[in-house]
Amino acid sequence: MNPVIPAPVPVPLPAPPWLLEFLLVFTFVLHLLAMDFLLGGVIILSVSSFLGRHDSGHHELARRVSHALPPVTAFTITLGVAPLLFVQLLYGQLFYTSSDLMAWYWLAVVFLVMLGYYGIYWYQMQHDELGTRAAWVMLSTAILFMLVAFIFTQNITTMLHPQDFYRLFLNGQVGTILGSVTSLNIARLAHFVVAAAALAGLGIALLSARWRTESPELARWGRRYGVTWFMGATLVQFLVGLWFLFSLPVEIRQSLVGDKLAVGLLVSGIFLALLGLLMAPRSLLAASVAMLGAVSAMAVLRHLVRVAYLRPYFDPHSLAVRGQWVVFSIFVVLLLAGLATVGWMLYVFYRPAARRA
Amino acid sequence: MNYPVWEPFMLGGGLVIGIIAILHVFVSHFAVGGGLFLPLTERKAYRENNPALLEYVKSHSKFFVLVVLVFGAVSGVGIWWSIALVNPEATATLIHVFVWGWAIEWVFFIVEIAAAFIYYYGWDRLDPKTHLLVGWIYFGAAWASLLVINGILTFMLTPGRWIKTQTFASAYFNPGMLPSLVVRTAVCIALAGVYALITSSAVADVALRNQVIAYAAKWLLAGTLIIPFAGIWYISTIPALAREISMGGAPAVTIFAGLSIFFSALVMAFTYFGPHQRPRHFNMVFAFLLAVLALSTTAVTEWVREAVRKPYIIYGYMYSNGIRVSDVERTREVGLLKSARWVRHHEVDPQALERTGEEVYRVQCASCHTVDGYNSIRFAVKGWSWAMIDYQLAHLSSLKGFMPGFVGTDAERQALGAWLASLNPVPTNIAIEPASSAVRGQATDATGEGASQP
Repeated sequence: MNPVIPAPVPVPLPAPPWLLEFLLVFTFVLHLLAMDFLLGGVIILSVSSFLGRHDSGHHELARRVSHALPPVTAFTITLGVAPLLFVQLLYGQLFYTSSDLMAWYWLAVVFLVMLGYYGIYWYQMQHDELGTRAAWVMLSTAILFMLVAFIFTQNITTMLHPQDFYRLFLNGQVGTILGSVTSLNIARLAHFVVAAAALAGLGIALLSARWRTESPELARWGRRYGVTWFMGATLVQFLVGLWFLFSLPVEIRQSLVGDKLAVGLLVSGIFLALLGLLMAPRSLLAASVAMLGAVSAMAVLRHLVRVAYLRPYFDPHSLAVRGQWVVFSIFVVLLLAGLATVGWMLYVFYRPAARRA
Repeated sequence: MNYPVWEPFMLGGGLVIGIIAILHVFVSHFAVGGGLFLPLTERKAYRENNPALLEYVKSHSKFFVLVVLVFGAVSGVGIWWSIALVNPEATATLIHVFVWGWAIEWVFFIVEIAAAFIYYYGWDRLDPKTHLLVGWIYFGAAWASLLVINGILTFMLTPGRWIKTQTFASAYFNPGMLPSLVVRTAVCIALAGVYALITSSAVADVALRNQVIAYAAKWLLAGTLIIPFAGIWYISTIPALAREISMGGAPAVTIFAGLSIFFSALVMAFTYFGPHQRPRHFNMVFAFLLAVLALSTTAVTEWVREAVRKPYIIYGYMYSNGIRVSDVERTREVGLLKSARWVRHHEVDPQALERTGEEVYRVQCASCHTVDGYNSIRFAVKGWSWAMIDYQLAHLSSLKGFMPGFVGTDAERQALGAWLASLNPVPTNIAIEPASSAVRGQATDATGEGASQP
């Protein structure tokens, strides 16, 4: 059966595909950093909230870390908007099709995120009033966000298999077709969840440093605790990553092996993660830089895997382009000005003198 | 035609978007107006040296963050989610035209969110001047995000020169952009008042409570005073057909347009005689009733704004069912089912006439109609014979100006008619077959089956 793929929009792309691909991967990395802290954060805080019923260290750590979660949630959502915009521009006809097939699940993401978000606020604002029930609130939030991760994995994986679209369509009712839950999808989901736990562990270790002056003991313990999550999850990741790699279809793996850039990215990603693992007990900063490198390398590799999957069906480089350079330049200028403004606000907020009498 | 059609059963796609969008509009305009209310009221508190008022602004900012940053942000994503599911072709087109516009809006969102958190967490950390400045940064970014999205929204009804030039500038600076910006800004100011009435009616200190209630009422009145003038300006820019639809052409739309004016007048009258004149008698219940009334105004107005765009989703360029105007001729020649990708039958099957007709319905009609729910098609053709339905379908755009003309071959139109006729019991004593049937012979089958349906 010939694959049924919708025709791309007859309006030219507003920028060359390489630029859109760069922005897609770049903004996706930004989204990942926030998302990892959020998803991993709610998982770790679920564990800590239950342990915190009988352990004041866990209790206090969970309370403090939960204050970071609302802004992180806001930024996860907002930073996620950009890559979704660019993926629709480059691969819209695939993305919309897989989204429509699973429409009810896909739309549910909005409600799951909103519930989870309010769950986080509930936990944070009423932590003491909730008492032992706080742990259940956090666990429910973690489950909601895991469901979101699962639905995302299904959609973003299904869109890579246009050859299956029509079969899925014929065998189901549009809106309820979640796509097959294969070992590849589960490995992919596990890969992301474990990465989130690792990076959130690192994030918590970094956050603990801020408590150094007022509660040095908690700060020391928080750092050790975060690093333990980071190292444990990263060790697990080496297994999960292998599982994910070997769940990829043979032809995709072969095409990656034949691609020097892909091999280079994979090797440097693994190397940087190892480096992060070794550095974490000594220098959090060095470990963070190494992990930023690892995440970036993996995000580029992920894009190459997508390109390899779609090569037989569609190449965005074949689309017509009519660059909108003036408005693009305005975007770049505003982005720089916006980041400077955010930077200034963070500066005045965190500068030591910033305390009203 | 290009994408699989999702039919959210009783609701229909339009209502799914509508529900999410109306709630989002009600909160997102508050996100902008409230962003002006916070720094202005904070400044007022400093100037009057009124610590109680400052305390109120603090508590209002907490309410603001919980409503705006969570519900406002996520429901905004929800609109995007739902339009992509219900009308992927139009969404894809908008993204191709406006991606840098959205990218710019995204920058403003980032600044907006960062500023909102720093404003909220900064009450005890920042000196008053800096804190106020952060509030202004929030408002600037929030209003700028409205500035961007407003042009994209009005583009759909008044794409103006874009149809010819296809440039970003002509798409964004479209005829409806400026008047709509004024309307929406006024709505933001009014909604800032609506929400402030809710929080102010919860203030315990009676003197402060009365002061803030009267103050919040002024915001609501100021906004509602501007809206009618800007509204008339806006209506003067929309296409003639759209105006006709809202002023008598389509009764339902006209009634809703009337309701929009009626609800607005009610809001204004209640506000003037209630919280503005008698703040002492105002309470939380009244505040919520006023909010419900304001939400109803938003709902009917947004509904009218969407309805007058029919039969298009992008005026003059794409019909509400996602078919491009430029594709109509070719699709009529080739056939809808051959052009559509997500169908089981790629041509009219005389052995399965109704099932083919149902597929024609799904591809061409289901973006606005449902079978039994919102805008029910079964109800719309009740009592109509196949011949009557076929005549209506053949002259759809002239009989019902707000519907796109039927796109497809004669056989496809008759298959659709056969399925529609089968939805209700056969009317008696009238010709039941189309005058010249391209699928003659199956006619009796089709209506015969229909007769057995409830």
